[in-house]
Amino acid sequence: MTTYSKVKQTLIDLKSAQSTMEHYAKITQDEKSRKIFERSARKLEPTLERLNKRIQRMEFEEPQYKGS
Amino acid sequence: MPDWLMTVIRSVGVLVLMAVWMRLLGRKMAARMTPFDRVYLVGFGVLAAVLVLNLIQPPLLAWIAWLTWGLTGLAYSFLSLKSKWVRDLLHGKEAVVIKHGKIMEDQLKQVRYTPEDLLQQLRGKQIFNVADVEFAVMEANGEINALMKSNKQPLTAQQLGVETAPETGVQTVILDGNILDEPLATMGLNRGWLNTELSKLDVSPENVFLAQVNTMGELYIDLFDDAIQVAQPTARQLLLTTLEKAKADLQSFSLDTDDEKAKQMYRQCATEVSSILYDVRPLLK
Repeated sequence: MTTYSKVKQTLIDLKSAQSTMEHYAKITQDEKSRKIFERSARKLEPTLERLNKRIQRMEFEEPQYKGS
Repeated sequence: MPDWLMTVIRSVGVLVLMAVWMRLLGRKMAARMTPFDRVYLVGFGVLAAVLVLNLIQPPLLAWIAWLTWGLTGLAYSFLSLKSKWVRDLLHGKEAVVIKHGKIMEDQLKQVRYTPEDLLQQLRGKQIFNVADVEFAVMEANGEINALMKSNKQPLTAQQLGVETAPETGVQTVILDGNILDEPLATMGLNRGWLNTELSKLDVSPENVFLAQVNTMGELYIDLFDDAIQVAQPTARQLLLTTLEKAKADLQSFSLDTDDEKAKQMYRQCATEVSSILYDVRPLLK
């Protein structure tokens, strides 16, 4: 597994974690937990962006990854 | 009409009347039976038996006695609701029998309690060592409730500084194969959601004996057929492991790369994920 695909996998994992937390924020009955889940899901956003940028950069530097 | 038939009719009639009367008197008597309540109910019951068997001639007298008893009971339950004085007079007050870890002998004598009775009552509460008790009260109905010394009380999550996921209550959504709509609505869910969750587990509602939903919207089910294994909810655990794994991956990326800027970026990401983990971990356990 190349670093590129590993980073991509991590990005996908984090995205799924984010959507799970958003789901919990909607479904939970407890106000405090709802806030924590909402905040955490939002807090994940910059990390996702950074990883996305990193992946784009990797694709730019090594075009053979693109589309894989 | 033959005598036996009259007795049957009277029995049923008195039973129905008694049932109505007990509803009027309220549930308090069943919940907190004081000695006075007991005496009152026994008297009421005996009068009912007299009525049924027609033991007093003329029967009108028995009816009058029974009615008086009943109405007084209603008045007394009403008055004791309104006035503390009446309550204390008829039910008695609670008495402090252990204070600051010391047994109050005078109080015990006053409520006619022997030391053996006290010990027995405490043992009934799993307290074998009187030294562990800080404070104990004898309630009006003779029951003893004790507060343990603070270092003998069970440990709580708060004392340990452990964060716990809030549990605002579990709703039962299927009983005996029937879907209950009201609890579902209380949780903000509907039949569509329930059917989706059940089909995820590959069961149909008719086969479910009992299903409960917790605060996090997780479904616990018990099937009629106990031989079938049902998957237990793991989504929360999964989210936790996903986040943990992402954090570890990010840390290893930052070690792997030679690009200083990327190193920095990965490290920052890992810090952020670990701060999120810190927030959500108590909720996911």
